This record gives sequence, C-alpha cells and structure tokens, in this order.
Amino acid sequence: MDIQNTQSQMRKGVLEFCILSIIRQGEVYPSDIVDKMKGANLNILEGTLYPLLTRLKNAGYLTYRWVESNSGPPRKYFLMTDQGLQFYGELERTWNELADAVQKLTSPDGKENLPEENPNNNQ
Amino acid sequence: MKKVININFQGRVIPIEESAYEILKEYIESLRQFFANEDGKDEIINDIESRVGELFSEVLKKGSACITDTDVESIINSIGRPADFEAEDGGTGKTDNAGANQSSEKFQTAPGARGRLYRDENDKLLGGVCAGLANYFRIDPSIMRILFAVITFGGFGTGFLIYILLWIILPSRSLETQLRKRLFRNPDDKVIAGVASGIAAYFNMSVWIPRFIFALPLVLGIMSSIFQNVFFHFNPFPSVIFGSFGGSLFIIYIVLWAVIPQAHSATEKLEMRGEKVDLNTIKNTIQEDLGSLKTRTEKWGAEVKETFQNKSRTMAGEVVPTVRKNGSRLGHAIGIIFKGFFLLIAGSIAFALLMAMIVLILIMVGVMAGGVSAFPLKGFIIAGAYQNFLAWSTLLLFLGVPVIAFVVWIIRRLIRSKSHNPYIGYTFGSLWTLGWIAAILLVASISRDYKTKAGIEEKMSIVQPSNGKIFIKAAPRSNVRYFDGDWYGIHWNRNESPFYALSEDSVVLRTVQLRIQKSEDSLFHISEIKFSRGANPESAKDAATKIDFAISQFDSIVNLPRGFDISKNEKFRNQQVLLIIDVPVGKKIEIDRTIHEYSGFNLNLGDGYNDWDWNDDWHNNYSWNSNVEYIMTNDGLKVTHQQEVKDEDNNQSSDDQSEPEEPKISDSTHYHYQQKNDSEKSAVKKTEVSINSKSSIKKTVRITDITSSFFERLAL
Repeated sequence: MDIQNTQSQMRKGVLEFCILSIIRQGEVYPSDIVDKMKGANLNILEGTLYPLLTRLKNAGYLTYRWVESNSGPPRKYFLMTDQGLQFYGELERTWNELADAVQKLTSPDGKENLPEENPNNNQ
Repeated sequence: MKKVININFQGRVIPIEESAYEILKEYIESLRQFFANEDGKDEIINDIESRVGELFSEVLKKGSACITDTDVESIINSIGRPADFEAEDGGTGKTDNAGANQSSEKFQTAPGARGRLYRDENDKLLGGVCAGLANYFRIDPSIMRILFAVITFGGFGTGFLIYILLWIILPSRSLETQLRKRLFRNPDDKVIAGVASGIAAYFNMSVWIPRFIFALPLVLGIMSSIFQNVFFHFNPFPSVIFGSFGGSLFIIYIVLWAVIPQAHSATEKLEMRGEKVDLNTIKNTIQEDLGSLKTRTEKWGAEVKETFQNKSRTMAGEVVPTVRKNGSRLGHAIGIIFKGFFLLIAGSIAFALLMAMIVLILIMVGVMAGGVSAFPLKGFIIAGAYQNFLAWSTLLLFLGVPVIAFVVWIIRRLIRSKSHNPYIGYTFGSLWTLGWIAAILLVASISRDYKTKAGIEEKMSIVQPSNGKIFIKAAPRSNVRYFDGDWYGIHWNRNESPFYALSEDSVVLRTVQLRIQKSEDSLFHISEIKFSRGANPESAKDAATKIDFAISQFDSIVNLPRGFDISKNEKFRNQQVLLIIDVPVGKKIEIDRTIHEYSGFNLNLGDGYNDWDWNDDWHNNYSWNSNVEYIMTNDGLKVTHQQEVKDEDNNQSSDDQSEPEEPKISDSTHYHYQQKNDSEKSAVKKTEVSINSKSSIKKTVRITDITSSFFERLAL
C-alpha cells in the first residue's frame, strides 16, 4: 500500500463526479473538460477521459452532439441526460456527506465542531 | 533527412514523418489492445484518434511543415499511454504492455471484467475463490470467506470441497474491486482487535450492539457467578447453554479476527463506511447479470477453455512463453492446497500447544507465587551440579522457551509485525530442542538415583508392658512444627500428600506403615525396617540408615513420631518406614486413630503396596481397625469384645475366617512382583545377612522393581 496508490484511489473516486459537474453546466468538448479540470488543479489524461465518457454515455447518463467546426471534421460535444442529472444528484449528495465528514474529521478544531454540528444534523 | 508521408487521419490530410507515423501506429495499436475488452472500444479509439488529428492540425496551423517524432511524442504524452491509465487507475497494473502476454493482460486490467465468475488474483488468501465470488455478487470478500468458513465447519467440510472444486474450475484474473463498501476491522476504535466496531461500521449500527453481543457470555458468566456466590447457590443461568454459547461466540470472534482485514489506509477506512450494501443491491446485480447472461456465458466458456488448454499444455511439459504465466498457476495451486492443509494441521497443533502453554504459564505463576524457587521439591530430589544444571536448563529451555515464544508471538501479533524473520523460529526451535535434551537427561539422571532399593531392619528395644497390652499412637515431636496438609498454600488432600511439612531445608515424610504379626516367643517385639532408594546398593543403604524414626515408650503406650525428616543433604529417595509389631499370644494391642495419618505414598502410584514388601512370608500379617482392642490368639488377631466390631470394611474385619484369606489377598497384590524377584531377592538376602555390621540385625535387600524399570524406560 503505497502513497501513490492511495492518492490515485482518492482521486479516482471524485473524478467521475467532477466530470459530470462540468458537463452539467452545459455541453462541452472533452478537451475543454481537461482544461477546466487542469484549471482547478485536477489533472486528467484525455486517454482516461474518453473511455470514461463513453462508459457514462453507454450507461445513458450522457449523450453527445456533432458540432461543425471551422477547421476539419465536426467535433463531438457531450451533454447530460435527465438520467444523468439524477445520477449526478445522488453523487452530489454522497459527496456532500463525504466532504462534510472529511472536513469534520480533518479540521484541527474538529473536536469543538462536532458537538455544534450534531444538533444541526438532527434538525 | 526523413521521409514525409501524407496520411488521411480522421478526415484530415496530415503530412507526417515516416518514423513519427510508425510511433503513432504503434500507439494506436497499444490503445486498441488496452481497450479490447471495453464495450465501446471502437468509439473510444475513434474519439482519441480524432482528438489526435485535431492536435495535429493545430501544430500544422502554427506553421510546421509536417508532424515530427517530437510532435507525436508530446501529443501522446498529453493524452496518455496505457501504462499511464493504469497508473491512474490505481497503479497496480503492469506497466509493460508489450509482448505476447497482452491478450491475457488486457483481460486482467479490464475494468469491465465484472459479471463473470473468476478467481480474484489481486485479493486472495488461498486461491481467490471467495474474492472472485464476492466480486461477482458485489459483496465483501470477507463476508464470502466467513460464509465459507461457516459452511466448512457446520457442514463437515463441504465448504472446503466446494472451494477446491471452484478453485480448479474457475479461471483466475486480476479483478478490479467494484465495491464501495467492505468489511474491515476498525483499528481506530477497538477493544481487542476492532472486529465489533468494524461490523458496526459495515451494518450502520452503533458500536455497542456487536460489542455487547460479543461480551454477552462474559457478562452472563460474571452475573451467574455473582448469583451463585450471593444467592445461596441459586443460578438462574444454566451454565451449559451459556458455556457453549459463549465459547462459540469466542471462536467466532477469533475467526473474524483472522478473516477480516484491518483497515489501514484512508481508502480502506472510507470503504469501511462506504456505500450501503443490502439484499437489494445484490438482487439488482444478479438481475443485471442475467440480462446479458448469454453473451457472457459464451465469453466465459471460451476463457475457461483457454485456461484448461493452458493447464494441459503445461502438464504435457510444453513451456510456451505465452502461457508460462498461466501454466505455472497449476503448480502454484497445488502448492497452495498443500500449504492450506499444512496450515490447517499446523493451526490445530498450534492451538493445542497454545492451550498447554497457557496452562503451563498458570502453573508456573502459581508455583512462583509460592515464594520459593520454581520447583519447591527441587532441593530434595536434585543432587549435584550436573543435575542442577540439567534442572535449570529444563526449566528455562523446555518450559521457558515456549512461554517466551508464545509471548513474542502475541506481541508480534499485536503490533502486526509482518516481517518474516526465520531466525526467530530457528532460535526458539533449537533452544527448545536443547530443552528436550536437558529434560530427557534429567529424567534419566534422576531415575538412576532411584535405581536400587535398600532396606535396613532394626530391632527396637522395648520394655514389656505391665498390663500385657500395648497402645500405639503417633505423636508430634515437640521441635517440629507441622503444617497439616498445607503445602505452600496449596491444599493437599491429607490422605494423598506424602509430606507433613516442607520447609527450606527439610521435608517431613510420613511414608510409614504398620504391620502386626504373631510373636514367636512370649514377648512383644517392635522392629522397624527403613527403606530407601539410591543409585547403587551402598548409597541406598546409606540413605536408609539416615532415616531417624525413633519410638518412645511409656509403659504400655508406644509413641511413634508422626513422620521423619529428610534434609536437603539427604535428598528425597522415596524413603519409607515399615514398623513390624510382634504380639505374643494372649497379649493385647490397640492402635490409635492417629496412626491413620501415615501415608502409603508411593512413587509407583500403584496400589501402594508394591514397595512395602519385606518378607516373602507375610502370612502372619493381620489387618486391624483403629481404636479397637485386639488380642493375639493361636489362630491370629481377635477382637477382645465381639460386640464392638464395626463391620465397616470387609477387608479390615479381623475374624477367624478372614485370616486364611489374607495371604491370598496379599499374594494377589504382590503376585507380579514376587514372580519376578523371588529367587534374586532371597539369594541377595542370604548374602547380605552374613555381612551384618552395626545394629542388632541388619539386612539389605536389593530390589529392582517397577519404579526403577519405569524410570529406565522413560530415560530410554
């Protein structure tokens, strides 16, 4: 169990969620996804992105549209289906729970936060 | 100077250097192989190709005349090679995808491999069957393993058979875990091993529930013991039920401890509390799978066939590079089966040893709590530096080493040390072997000290009592404090303990027995025979002489000491005293109850009579009851007042009828022994009698009896 493996495992878990959140904002060209993620300091190889998109598309969460380009053949733009939106919603919920938990557990004053947070959760 | 060619790539005309074209072609081919098992592999390749084409035209737009090697390399680097995808997938895959192994490699790394039944190469304890099944049903491998353990133990090994069968049938693949939640032991919140809190995390419940269930037998045990002690032996908890119940829970905990992995990394800890797993998920999974069962079955069948072909090829002895990896699997599997059996057997032996160890530790702790040396009798048995050395070696190596090894094992287990240091095992093993040797030598050496037996007869001078009756009783000697039945605080059954008391430098033995026989003249005679064992007749005789068993007489009352001292210098050599009282005809005798406190303790652990033998003709030996007055007649010992006879014990009732039977009884108990030694003994006796030295009459008899032969057998 080396550190790289753990790191990539952690990244892998959120990758799908991040990609979907980018696509949710509007139809997008794959290399734009890579750029956007790079901008957010989250590196992904296009070679990894394409299979992932294809898988999501085959699962019915995404669809694509051919868009004419001024240079060369038309380009494939991806957009989200209703089913994908639903899927994204569930992922988002899980992510929020997870982020919340991680935040609580990793913040230095986590011990103080815990009692405060608990009543909120109960409401 | 390089040749430039034009290619039509994804609808674009690209001028490209020939060497760059070769690189590109190779790259696309590697992608094709990598995604070969992917459902939309053509689409993926196509997408990547068109992206590459787009990047090419960007390069050209900037003014380059053609695509060079460097351009292709940089584009490939930005998109990523299969090795990079694997690294991103978790870094477990093989980085070198080139070569003939690729057809199988691509399956192993294929993310979509789920849905077919495989053995999992990545996550296996034995053959990966459980992990593969778990992967198929999308449940945790640990649960599958527990299930198999239950089927194996509950179903008389059926689980094991099924496992072996599946092991042989199923092909092996490196499977990617599809699970988001797995059963782990929780290292952060544990009492013993974190089993309970891991279970709690898995089933989304409070930690106290599994903990309470596991602790239940303990709680009930404490409660029932309280009830037993406080409420007058009323126990509302039937111990049989809760005993077995508690035992099985304990075993279950141990099994879970062994089977469930501990959550080490952050990922594993997240997985521990991850996605909810319930029957619904499993149902969905199966339904999904049934939908595309047909195609899968076909594919799977082909793969199984491939595996078998590979196996058979290996068995035929053909080492083909492409199947080398698969081929070694069979040998590997056989190795693992043996390993499994070995572990099973070794495990049960280890468990038994462990239990013995615990008992040993308890005994040692108990003895040490006694406050003296680890072995209180040591000083009375061990003689000389050689035996002392052996005794300590035995104690340290034979008993100590396993205890230390056990403690080391426990500690290593607790700190989860995984380093396999064989020298620890070798060291403990050889030290223990030395311990065995020391123990055997010690037993041999000690048994040599008990080899021969000597007896010395001594006639005691007594004054004839004025009233024609003697009363025999045992009285404590004033200068000895007796701690009756108290042996370093350990309670000895009074009738079984050979000692009255044990102190730093002496032990008081009470191996004394009384015999009454008819006097040949008209006088009372008392003679005592002192027995001892020794390495040779001289040392045995010497030890017997040193026995101090002095009787005192006050008119008709004969006081016997309650026991005799053995000092550390004299050593314990199973010294015994036989007191023979000759009662003349017409005279009376009565024996006090205190005499019963003598013990017929015997190293033989037999009926207690073997060692007491002195003469072949014990025909005039009579049994008696204490506190009953007897009179000696020509026919033998008779009770003076017939009405007082309490027929408590048939053997001990001293009627006329019982007398002729006595020798028979005596004979039957001595039968074996006498057969063996009659001739030898009588011969020796005659010679020894002529050597008479000190006291009035002395005899030394050499007897090689069961005790020494037993020890000798042990020594061999």
